[in-house]
Amino acid sequence: MHLPKSWSEIDVFQFKEIRSLYTIEETFSREIEILATLADIPSDDLEDLDISEVGDMLKDITFINSEPSKFYKHVLGEWKFKPLSKLTVGEFIDLEYFFANDYIKHISHVASILYRKHSINEWGDLVFEPYKYSPFERAELFDEYGINEIYGIITEYLAFRTTFMEKYELLFQADESEEEEEAIKPANSQDAKAEQEHKSAIKWSWERLLYGLCNEDLTKFDQVTDMPLVLTFNMMAMKKELNI
Amino acid sequence: MVTILGREVPNQLNELTVLQFEQITNIHANNELDAIAKHLEVFELLGVPEVDFEDVSIEEFKECVKVFNDLSGKPELQQSIEMEGYTYKAFEGETFRLSVKDTKHIEKVMHSKHKGYIAELLAILFKRDDLTKAEHYAEAHIKHKAKMIRELKAELAVPYLVEIGQKLAKQMPKDAPAEVVE
Repeated sequence: MHLPKSWSEIDVFQFKEIRSLYTIEETFSREIEILATLADIPSDDLEDLDISEVGDMLKDITFINSEPSKFYKHVLGEWKFKPLSKLTVGEFIDLEYFFANDYIKHISHVASILYRKHSINEWGDLVFEPYKYSPFERAELFDEYGINEIYGIITEYLAFRTTFMEKYELLFQADESEEEEEAIKPANSQDAKAEQEHKSAIKWSWERLLYGLCNEDLTKFDQVTDMPLVLTFNMMAMKKELNI
Repeated sequence: MVTILGREVPNQLNELTVLQFEQITNIHANNELDAIAKHLEVFELLGVPEVDFEDVSIEEFKECVKVFNDLSGKPELQQSIEMEGYTYKAFEGETFRLSVKDTKHIEKVMHSKHKGYIAELLAILFKRDDLTKAEHYAEAHIKHKAKMIRELKAELAVPYLVEIGQKLAKQMPKDAPAEVVE
């Protein structure tokens, strides 16, 4: 039975599979499932072994309890990492969706947004392909890359996000206070209705933002999502600060 | 048997049933009770009502506990048992072997922390030769077997608890996965 010795032998698909097994509450059962996944065998094949026999194997895979490398490759085959400072509004909104809904499970989706086809234009500048595809369709192309090749994009994005959120704190403050209010239980049916409306407002917050940026003209939707993120938030921050 | 306040109380592992042993274990695992309350509950369970201790001094009470805790002999692993005309075996060969499958089931039972887990743990280990694996691990079968095992003596359970505890302590991984630091 071949067992990998480090994260460098694990691809993105296996990594996601391993991490998904952490929902198994019982430690030993979880470790057995992980062991089987790493060995690429059904866990039933291990069930007749004595636990001392699997104990040695479990010792060989203790690396799984550490994080993969926080570095990442800037070029993966035909894909190139798009600098986060060049993100568009649409890319940022989709990344936020994946980070809010388990970024480990969606690491391939995140990679499909951040790694892009590219070319050099007539002026010799690096140009990234437009974001006109679905990350859901492209995600599995990244499953076969080594986890050590792309895991660092998670920490990179999280660091970027923290700085971004701090810089545009004013624009996100309203949402935070809304979240606090959400914790208060409604006292009557009117309050319950208000809370429901409030929940809907949170649920549709990105759409509401885009709708506002489009001036309620949905034909401008693509124009808005293609706008540079930093420029857009700078303008929104200015509007908020000057109350215009 | 020991005599406590004039009453015969079972205290040896070949006198207590698995059910009584489970009940005693549960009392000692109850963090809401202090040490004295735990002993009083154990004595009550085994036939000495709490009211009998009302006029007992703390020194006398300590002596009762000491007498009760004085266990003799060390029970050995019983490889097989007979119940309802069937033979149940816990392992083949000379030495006890804990399989991955049994460990997974035992872990599940222990994780649930319900009151009858010791008998269920033994029910997982002791298998009837004439049953398939699927039948052996069927929940209803394990529950039925555990019910029968509760009537057996605790000397059956303790060596297995020790063995399993040692094996699990040796094999269980302790680390949790690292999280991305935001």
